Amino acid sequence: MKISKEKITDFTVINIDGRIDTNNYSDLEEELNRLFNSRETNLIINCSGLNYICSSGLRVFLVTQKKAISVNGKLSFCNLQPAIKEIFTISGFTSIFQIFDTLEQAMNINSNLSC
Amino acid sequence: MKNDYKEHFIIENRIEELPVLSEKIEQLGKKWEFLSPLIMKINLVLEEALSNIIYYAFKDKEIHKIEVSISNKANKLIIEITDDGIPFDPTTSEQPDISLPASERPVGGLGIFLISKIMDTVGYSRKNNLNILTLTKFYENIERKNN
Repeated sequence: MKISKEKITDFTVINIDGRIDTNNYSDLEEELNRLFNSRETNLIINCSGLNYICSSGLRVFLVTQKKAISVNGKLSFCNLQPAIKEIFTISGFTSIFQIFDTLEQAMNINSNLSC
Repeated sequence: MKNDYKEHFIIENRIEELPVLSEKIEQLGKKWEFLSPLIMKINLVLEEALSNIIYYAFKDKEIHKIEVSISNKANKLIIEITDDGIPFDPTTSEQPDISLPASERPVGGLGIFLISKIMDTVGYSRKNNLNILTLTKFYENIERKNN
């Protein structure tokens, strides 16, 4: 797994490449915690390079969303590969996260909401 | 002669074994001409089941062997996982309520839930002090190459 981040307008975009599995999910957890501690709570996870996720990874996202909601922040997703989208759907994540086809859509809609 | 439709793996109860197995399943999936979403699902199911066993089944510090067999015949996959840990029947686990909003969603229970959603049947038996988990999945021709 490779994690990189960039600040675009009001958002922190996190690009995740590769696999999130039982061996590395804690790296993702630490990175998201770091962002929260520096008050970056408006997060868009760009999943274009994500090709595998297990329940430990899903749990990290759920916990992060709970924390984000409590501070009026938000976690949303874009560019999910079809197999990953299917796992999100099975897990009921499509109803607790906003999921967009593209990064542009994720930024536009979230900007409008915050206006 | 070794059967082409069946493969058998043995891993130790260490979480570092999982990426190694995952790589072998990737190769097996390619040999069976599965497309990558199907291979991903098999790997996901194995990771969920095996990490549960590795984390919770053993109360001692000993090395234990966990056996995984996979067969593939007539569009039916059968995965059998055998361990000598404490009795645990995942078919009786409570399923998370996925209709709850994020703030009320419990964070646990997703692993076994994913297994039950991805596979068509989940069976458990306890024989000779062994847990035997039997998972089956019927797949479509379009989940393979050259269909």
